Amino acid sequence: MFGINRRYLSDFDWLLLGVILLIAGFGVLEISSAEPTVGLWRRQVFGVAIGLVVLFLATMFDYRRIVNAAPYLYMVGVILLALVLTPLGKEVNGNRSWLYFGSFQFQPSEFAKIFTILFLAYYLSGVKKRPLDLRSMIIAGLIWAVPTVLVFMENDTGSALSFTSFLAAMLFLSGVRWSWLAAASGALVLALIVAVPYVKTCKSYKCERIKSVYWPELAEKRFRYQNDQSEIAVGSGGIAGKGLRGSTQGPLGFVPEVHNDFIYAVASEETGFIGSFASLGAYLMVITRLIQIARRARERVGLMLVAGFASLLLYHVAVNVGMVVRLLPIMGIPLPLMSFGSTSVVATCFGLGLAISVRLRRFVN
Amino acid sequence: MRPMKEPGFDSIEDLRQAGMRLEIIRYLALAVFVILAGRLWYLQVMNSQVYAERAEQNRTRALTIPAPRGNIFDRKGRLLVTSQASYNIVISHKDMGKNTNEIADLLVNGLEIDRDWLIKRFEDAKYEAKYESIVIKEMASAADVAWVEAHQYEYPMIRAEQAPRRFYPYKTLAAHAIGYVGEVDRRELNDPKSPFSRERGYKLGDVIGKAGIERTYNDLLMGKDGARLVIVDSKGRIQREIGRTEPIPGRDLNMTIDLDIQKVAEEQTDTMPAGRGVIVVADPNNGEILSMVSHPSFDPNAFSLRAKTDAGKDEIRELQEDPDKPLYNRVIQGAFPPGSTWKLMTTVAALNEGVITPTNNKIQDGDIQLGNYHMSSMSHEGFPDINRAILRSCDGYFYRLGLKMGVEKFEKWVDLFRFGHRTGIDLPNERSGTPPTRATKEMIYRSVLKRQKMDKGLEWTEKDEEEVKRQAKWTDYDMAASAFGQGMNASTPIQLLRYVAGLANGGYMYTPHLLYRGAPGGDREGKQHPEAKFEDKNKFTVPMDAEIHEIVLKGMWSAVNAGGTAGAAAIEGFDVCGKTGTAQVASKDKAGAKNKDHAWFISFAPRDKPEICSVILTENAGMGGRQSAPRAKIIYEDYYRRTRGLAEETKAEVAK
Repeated sequence: MFGINRRYLSDFDWLLLGVILLIAGFGVLEISSAEPTVGLWRRQVFGVAIGLVVLFLATMFDYRRIVNAAPYLYMVGVILLALVLTPLGKEVNGNRSWLYFGSFQFQPSEFAKIFTILFLAYYLSGVKKRPLDLRSMIIAGLIWAVPTVLVFMENDTGSALSFTSFLAAMLFLSGVRWSWLAAASGALVLALIVAVPYVKTCKSYKCERIKSVYWPELAEKRFRYQNDQSEIAVGSGGIAGKGLRGSTQGPLGFVPEVHNDFIYAVASEETGFIGSFASLGAYLMVITRLIQIARRARERVGLMLVAGFASLLLYHVAVNVGMVVRLLPIMGIPLPLMSFGSTSVVATCFGLGLAISVRLRRFVN
Repeated sequence: MRPMKEPGFDSIEDLRQAGMRLEIIRYLALAVFVILAGRLWYLQVMNSQVYAERAEQNRTRALTIPAPRGNIFDRKGRLLVTSQASYNIVISHKDMGKNTNEIADLLVNGLEIDRDWLIKRFEDAKYEAKYESIVIKEMASAADVAWVEAHQYEYPMIRAEQAPRRFYPYKTLAAHAIGYVGEVDRRELNDPKSPFSRERGYKLGDVIGKAGIERTYNDLLMGKDGARLVIVDSKGRIQREIGRTEPIPGRDLNMTIDLDIQKVAEEQTDTMPAGRGVIVVADPNNGEILSMVSHPSFDPNAFSLRAKTDAGKDEIRELQEDPDKPLYNRVIQGAFPPGSTWKLMTTVAALNEGVITPTNNKIQDGDIQLGNYHMSSMSHEGFPDINRAILRSCDGYFYRLGLKMGVEKFEKWVDLFRFGHRTGIDLPNERSGTPPTRATKEMIYRSVLKRQKMDKGLEWTEKDEEEVKRQAKWTDYDMAASAFGQGMNASTPIQLLRYVAGLANGGYMYTPHLLYRGAPGGDREGKQHPEAKFEDKNKFTVPMDAEIHEIVLKGMWSAVNAGGTAGAAAIEGFDVCGKTGTAQVASKDKAGAKNKDHAWFISFAPRDKPEICSVILTENAGMGGRQSAPRAKIIYEDYYRRTRGLAEETKAEVAK
């Protein structure tokens, strides 16, 4: 169960690892391009290295033992999230989502997401009622609610919504009645329709960010600026791009947060449609691969765990790229593996490691 | 809390179900990626051109490299106008962003700029090209430049740019001929017909000629600013230069003005008793103006060096409000009755029309009674001939000569001399004056009657036109008055200059002008030009055969040298010919110091091969012979000494 042997090496998902390394490498390259003056890319290389270590460690453990520790991990995650709201936390760009321990800083929400997936997998895989009963759904909802509310209090709407993305996927996979699903979808559409006139007149910064995308003429100029500049960066890349180090929108500071949430804007500017489409394809490959792993999982826990993580990844990629290309409002969601930030990279690697672990143990002995 | 086996739960079937649902999630993922890829296609493949341009606009700025304006020299190459190094404080308005108010506060405090002016400037700039910069302070002091440099990091969009300023070292000297420069008006920019429209490549903040030859020859003098194309970051800090358009410098220009003559003429106008007058000196052989003074004058530096300072603004306001109108060029914009200087026109007309002949030209002088009018004559010479009539300026002689000639012949000659028409001098805003003709009289009566009708709110009818014809009937009084230079005659000094030059050279009427030569070089459109010369398109001749010309010369020579009215202008060895004139400003009963007559003197020298001619008008001073003729003498004397190599000697004599 533990340790490296021939079977581990031959069964290891080298393809997935290869794609991950390609994405992370591309990210490092683009970070160095976006912020050429500062050595951010070195810190990112360091983050990726730690991530790989975490990934390998995660594959070596039987994921079921990790799932069994889920309640404790979940509690740790919640405590860390709560700590952010104490003076230990720090506000960056309006989001209070950072924890500081001396010079060491990290974003607990990134880990809280994985821990919550683990806990939901732990709980939901034990529920043997089909279709899923209301009581189980409420319990799952409570597991979801605690970290989500905390993240929401940190003013990090994007992350709060990411919790919802995997909750929805995991409930769906646990056999929610189709009629309930249809009702929920209908309610969502209705809520969106009702919200439109309100958003159009509302002046809060969240509304402004929504207006900046869908009704730019109604939005304040200073909110539109990020969207405009990001759109220009992507569009000006053309088909073949301006070449590595060719970005003007990034290094000259027109796109804000360029090494971070907007790294995809610079990547698109420098590598054009060819590069941005290819990197999108790489993410699709990772997600499809994860779904495949989930399907082949030995039992429910593995399936739920991997599927939850896959939907989290899908949410991150869709929202981040969506905001860069101006299809979705700007939310503080990093692009997994590419955006600068060790916490996000390590957390993503941990999730991927768990998935590979599930794959490695897909056969019943 | 291990999961327990539930009865009726088929875990195989459940995994199959979950697998199906996973498949749905996979399709959902695929759909999301298709949407994102579609958007990428739209942005990067279909519309990339638009975004590429916007990205370029984002990062590039054009910084002006000012083109130096051409220098202006006199005909002998002495510098009259140049440009001085100076700095403008500019702000790149693309980088100003939304916090206009904050920046305005900063600038008002840091650079001592008027806040209202600045806000207006920002407003105006909204209509300008995006990456041009706005000038917010001209003639910045060293302290201002230092202040800007000290704030480079926080406010990189504020920069100090080199901007040469126009400098007029002789200040008021020849100011009306030279003119001045200033910023182009918004009105001119927006009018496609103006010579300084946007269509012709001018933009807000461009410094153009506003008056004088600075304006007439602006295209020659101005040049075209170059630009440095630079990459800036999002804060507007310059990163590097990527392109450069070199400025096209303006071309130098020589005026026909002779600084020596100009200086002497300026001294002469300075001593005019009412503080107002005109001296204009020219070469009668080609119309080149050697000196042009309109007094009082102004300092053109007020407009270029001090226009943005409070002191400069006050100075300009004072100039505009001064009742003596120092900004107004009397030489081309002042129209006055020419008085007796006009008698030569009548002489040439009468001789050509055979009213008198070179041998038979004695007419009675003295007062005349015309109906109810008694016209007095200062002279009572009996029956003088034409020569005596000119040298004694016999009014009575010319009353009768005019009446003898009749209005048709008279008007024909007024028109042949082109009085009442602009000379076409190379200066803006020349007036045409009014000729003493029936049309002028009708026009005056018509405008009076029209005003009366308008005040009563009545229509103008055919009947009114008849009434005008009746009232404005040409009378003997009109004829007699017009013949000696009064009546409805209003002529500009520049018209009289062309006239006196024609009298000197035998009827060749050259257009007076100020351009001596313009240096060859490229213009604003990049076209190359050879040396520029004044093209005299308006020159014409007045029929004046040798016999008639001789009578004119003799009359004018005698007026100066044979006991005539202009004896004060005589110079030994330099046959000065001239004619005095005294223009009545107001009727006799209003006489007083303020309404004293204007004193004219038109002259040339030497008699046989004229080299120099001049028109002098001393306003509200009295007699032409006493007030203006002596000034001509001083100018000619100085000219004579210098051209005959006697200057040194004279200085030595004075030193004794």
